[in-house]
Amino acid sequence: MSAIEALYIFDEQNDPLLEHIYAGRPPPGSTVLPLYLAHPSPRPSLIYFSQTNPPTLLYSIVQDNLLFLSPSSTDTEPLQVLEFLHRVADVLEDFLGSPLLASRIESSYDTVAQLLSEMVDGGIIASTEPNALRDVVEAPSFMRNLLGGVGLPSSTPSLTPSATPFSLTSRPSPRLGPTPINTSSPVPWRRANVRHTSNEMYVDIVETLQIIIAPSGRPLSAISNGTIAFTAKVSGVPDLLLQLGCPGGVSSTISLPVFHPSVRLNRWKERPGELSFVPPDGRFVLAGYEVDLLGPAALDSFSSSTKSNAAPKLNIPATASIRTSLGPTGAEFEVRITLNPRFSGKSSSPLSSVTGPSFPRAGGLGRGLGGSGFGGTQGTTAAPVIEEMTVDIPLPATVKNVRDLRISRGPGDAVYSPGDRNIEWRINSREIGILMSTDRGAGTGATATLRGTVVGQEEEDAIDGGGPVSLTNDPYDYNDDQSLLSYQALSEISSKRDDTGIGNDKRIKQNKVLMPSCATVSFKVKGWLASGIKVEGLNVDQKRSKGLGSGITPYKGVKYLCVSRKGVESRC
Amino acid sequence: MHPSAYAHWSLSTARDLTLEAARDASNARKSTTRILPSGQLKKLLDSRAERDVLEGLRRVVTMSYRQPPSQTLPFFTAVIKNIASPSLPVKKLVYIYLLQHAEHEPDTALLSINTIQKSLTDQNPQLRALALRVMSGIRVPVISQIVSLGIKRGVGDMSPYVRRAAALAIPKCYSLDPNTEPQLLEYLSTLLGDKQYFVTGAAVAAFLEFCPDRMDLIHPHYRSLVRKLVDMDEWGQLATLRLMMVYSRRCFPRRTRKVKKAVASMGANNKSTRTTTKGFYDSDSESEKSEDQEEMEEVVTLDPDLELFLKACQPLLQSRNTAVVIAVARTYLYLGTPEYISTAIGPLISLLRSAQDLQHIVLYNIVQVCLSHPGRFVKYYTHFLVRSTDAPQIWRLKLELLTLIFPYTPPRLQSLILAELSHFSHSGSLDPGLVKEAVRAIGRCSQGSATSPKTSARCLRLLLAHIGSADAHLVAESLEVIRHLIQRDPNNHRTTVVRLAKHLDAATSPQARASIIWLVGEFAGVDPENNIAADVLRILAKGFADEAEPAKLQIMLLAAKVYIHHLNANPPPEIAKPAGPQPPSALLEGFQDEGGFRDPHFEPQSSHQIPESQAPERPHPIAALYQYILLLTRYDTSYDLRDRARVYKALLASPSSTQLASLLLLAPKPVPQTPSPSEIRKGYVLGSASLVVGDEGGVGGLRGYEDLPSWVKEGREPNPALRDEDGTLNEYVAGGNGGRILTASEKLDVASSSRAYEPSSSPGKKLNGFGAGTSRGTVGEKKEKTLDDWLAEEEEEEGSTEEETDDEEEEEEEEEEESEYETDDEESEESDDEGEAGRLMKQT
Repeated sequence: MSAIEALYIFDEQNDPLLEHIYAGRPPPGSTVLPLYLAHPSPRPSLIYFSQTNPPTLLYSIVQDNLLFLSPSSTDTEPLQVLEFLHRVADVLEDFLGSPLLASRIESSYDTVAQLLSEMVDGGIIASTEPNALRDVVEAPSFMRNLLGGVGLPSSTPSLTPSATPFSLTSRPSPRLGPTPINTSSPVPWRRANVRHTSNEMYVDIVETLQIIIAPSGRPLSAISNGTIAFTAKVSGVPDLLLQLGCPGGVSSTISLPVFHPSVRLNRWKERPGELSFVPPDGRFVLAGYEVDLLGPAALDSFSSSTKSNAAPKLNIPATASIRTSLGPTGAEFEVRITLNPRFSGKSSSPLSSVTGPSFPRAGGLGRGLGGSGFGGTQGTTAAPVIEEMTVDIPLPATVKNVRDLRISRGPGDAVYSPGDRNIEWRINSREIGILMSTDRGAGTGATATLRGTVVGQEEEDAIDGGGPVSLTNDPYDYNDDQSLLSYQALSEISSKRDDTGIGNDKRIKQNKVLMPSCATVSFKVKGWLASGIKVEGLNVDQKRSKGLGSGITPYKGVKYLCVSRKGVESRC
Repeated sequence: MHPSAYAHWSLSTARDLTLEAARDASNARKSTTRILPSGQLKKLLDSRAERDVLEGLRRVVTMSYRQPPSQTLPFFTAVIKNIASPSLPVKKLVYIYLLQHAEHEPDTALLSINTIQKSLTDQNPQLRALALRVMSGIRVPVISQIVSLGIKRGVGDMSPYVRRAAALAIPKCYSLDPNTEPQLLEYLSTLLGDKQYFVTGAAVAAFLEFCPDRMDLIHPHYRSLVRKLVDMDEWGQLATLRLMMVYSRRCFPRRTRKVKKAVASMGANNKSTRTTTKGFYDSDSESEKSEDQEEMEEVVTLDPDLELFLKACQPLLQSRNTAVVIAVARTYLYLGTPEYISTAIGPLISLLRSAQDLQHIVLYNIVQVCLSHPGRFVKYYTHFLVRSTDAPQIWRLKLELLTLIFPYTPPRLQSLILAELSHFSHSGSLDPGLVKEAVRAIGRCSQGSATSPKTSARCLRLLLAHIGSADAHLVAESLEVIRHLIQRDPNNHRTTVVRLAKHLDAATSPQARASIIWLVGEFAGVDPENNIAADVLRILAKGFADEAEPAKLQIMLLAAKVYIHHLNANPPPEIAKPAGPQPPSALLEGFQDEGGFRDPHFEPQSSHQIPESQAPERPHPIAALYQYILLLTRYDTSYDLRDRARVYKALLASPSSTQLASLLLLAPKPVPQTPSPSEIRKGYVLGSASLVVGDEGGVGGLRGYEDLPSWVKEGREPNPALRDEDGTLNEYVAGGNGGRILTASEKLDVASSSRAYEPSSSPGKKLNGFGAGTSRGTVGEKKEKTLDDWLAEEEEEEGSTEEETDDEEEEEEEEEEESEYETDDEESEESDDEGEAGRLMKQT
């Protein structure tokens, strides 16, 4: 019945990095790994092996290229194990530094061993709060190396942080190992005796777009998944109040929120948008939420009576549209991206910066609290800029090659090699800026176009082997004019020769199978959120806080980031 | 800090820094794994300098992760020697080594027990907890009694960390030696009543591991556990939710009653005489009122204690831990009323935001809930739309969800879902599997009992449109689904068959042609006056030679079917002739009686008859067609085809005896059932691994799978009075320690109890509102507070002048405590609260 029987970690080459047995006699990693790898990819997070003895359930996650496995011989709650694996990865990252590298684990096995044995006791998950673990396990750092083997006798608790003659600011609260006595903090998720020389608080709101656009251009679903990450470097036990604001009202905008255990739920229920909490020390995810960008009325707009007029208007930085079955044989396709002129940014085009604030949402977007907390130099809330745009065009498995892949209009480079399952079209930030500047005054936004021709298996065969126009097999039919033409043209001619009209129709039909069915756009916009949510205030409740000297106002910073990871999907 | 020591450190730092830099620069992982020769390593471990010992231990621990235990075992004695080291880091590493290796060297491991036992009395709670954990973790059965004593000590410890370690040690001790059970039960019972939420969380987890059936231990702590639920850590919450699931099924009989609108409130009044609090019933009857629309209705009445639990779960729905949310949904699904489960739907959907690996499992659970409550998911349809980035296991479940909610959606949305499905069924989709599933999903949509005929027709149209596609997968799957649809309702699909036959011209794939021909053959007997089967056969016969083998086989079959229908409809006149063989019915009977042997003289006779009857006039076109096909197949290259032709020829050799042939050819086909794929998992409990694995893990679930216990029968449940909490006082005495030990938090409770019950602080207003504070006399009145209450009150405490509690008893206990505080008052800020300690100091 033990929840966790063992934990195995493998590196990117699937070499074993770590095996930690918690309870029972689970099959060793060397047995489990080949079975796992034998499962066809993409591998589900829970696989059942009936061939092992005893039959084994294998849970797996992949984080930072490391593979975390946990076998189980009995029926356990899958999500419990998977959540635990995620926590292990998070805790290791917290202690060893991000990203979690194999070498980092290897160089501090002793810390990892302590962490792992603290986290699970006899198969029962005991404690996974990074802050609580920091109270009992010491993070590897320069300090540790500095102090080397000099530990202090546990029975002389004279060495409290204040007695430490030197304190580094690089790591949060460097101490001579875990303070032996004050191990229990009144707040389980917060370390005891937090001390920082400079008090700082940062709010990062990241929204991930998930948008599906129908062939007609109507958005089918548009969801923005938000995460509020909070970084607290504040001494003592601060009690914070974070106020969110939104043009349409927070309660109607934000749906299905999820909170860190520290957040007082009643406060949120009484006054939506207000998050009152005692933060853990360091970085943590304060809340998650989602916003339906189409609004609740989206469903009604599907009625046939109100056709295109009622189509919900979306305000997305960039969209793609895709047209297929072009050209005489229907083998060509065209992808066009449209950039919203709003996101041209101040720096690249002086014209569009005028239009920036004219948008009601952008104009009001939160200013950095107490100073410039924005990391991005380009994107600001006043003039957000699209960065790192990529268009992905997944292709059916039957496509063997794409010919004549060219960007007919606009910048960037398209990458495809025969046999790939998708075309990637990358446009870097600078090129976006140039593209944006081409669109002056039109207000419709800049566009760029990519064209290509798909080649399927049969077609290639048809061209290569036999047929009246084959160059290799039939020397008598050799023709100088034709030899200059590309294969593409040849196939066209061949189809025309056979029986002009009907042949093309058939071709088009056949090529239809090879057409891509969607294109996805990925990008990043700093300083802008699709939902329009902004931070209206972040305050320390001086009365309820403790340990923070009076009159000290921590430095505050706010960052907004909107990303799409293949999130804007246009179908055709 | 001694200056010289400082200098030494900085020197070594410099060295370490360069080392680290070199390590990073060379980027070679090999350099970090360099292994010292064992002699040198032993020397390090034997060294007097702590620094060296620590370094040696680090290397050993590193080795133990990278190599089999045989490599690290030789250092056992060298490592264990250091267990008495005063240095905490050294101790920790020794403990880790010990836990990993003790089993291999039980005798040597025993030598260390004494030292570990000493650590149990160390002043540092962290060390005490660690020692307890290690002691119980050494798998040497001889020490079970010592471990048990250690746990006993730990249970009474002041530090909650130690108590938690004690709780977690209980199942380990039990597995060492089952004879310790009675003592362990006693300890566990004490710990379950602990005031510290993270102790109780661990205690519940230990309970589930150690004695999951001893529900009697839970009764006195039920309400306190439920109230602590919100403040426990997520793993404790999970354990408690699992425990309460079983507990509730075993202890609260499912009561339903018929309610009339007017009588509703009266019924509630009757009940409330039974026990305790009034508050629940008020809300109870309200919900009932809203519920009953008809005159009489079956309404589930919840036990007040059960309702207390269900309400306490509510805040957990906002948990960041997906497992907790699923566990609450499970609680509501199996224990609560429909109102409860509907509050869990949104949070379930919110789980879809999590990482893809979690998403997969979450979707299984959502499907499971959706199977029983599909209507409630309709408004979240946007979350079920398949994205191009979804992995196969994810879109499969999403498509299923779309079909599950389909019958409950408004018509506009239905067309959206159908459009979505047909998008994926269209050619050009990325995955043949997706095409297949999408087509099947369309089929399921049109079959639903609630689907209107118009929608069904639309689904069929969508499917028919696929027949001409160049995508073989799509065509085959579409026809499969069409066939299912037609077979389920043959009478309404006559015209569909005709339409299908028309598509024969367009269909190119042999499989598609074959299934259409088969369908035509199946319907050859329906409505004989204007059946198209014979015509279809006539047309197909012309191009027979160009067909692919599967299609030829079906044409052959069609010919046989058409022919037999023809024979049945127009029995050859020979039957009437006395010269002919026995009447067919008799023949068939004889055939059956003789156990399957055919009449030997039957065949030659009948073969004679055909030319006889056909000679005078031109044969009927159908017969001619049949003969023609037979002739063609006779010279076909496929032996399978030739063989079949022979079978049919023999079967239909005599036009007068068609019974056997009818039996074979015209047998009614079973109606195919295509339930939702997850229907087979429906029996598994929400949140279990068996639900995900399905029947692959063996019927009845995986090993260790526990089905839901059924509701306890009315009258068999334990007395509800057992859950009354007047035992608060006794709980701690029951710990068996003689003197009662108060936890720090409890003291805080006592200290603030006078304030906590000031009229202003109504319990309902408290965070996470435990609206159900039981108001009882004296000590039971102490209300537990949530974490936030602590935070809120700590400052008050500090600010206000200290109030003395007027409870005599408590004061006495505090006196007792003082002595303990004096011994280690350097520890000053014990466990929970600084203010508390300060207060105690003032008293002394």
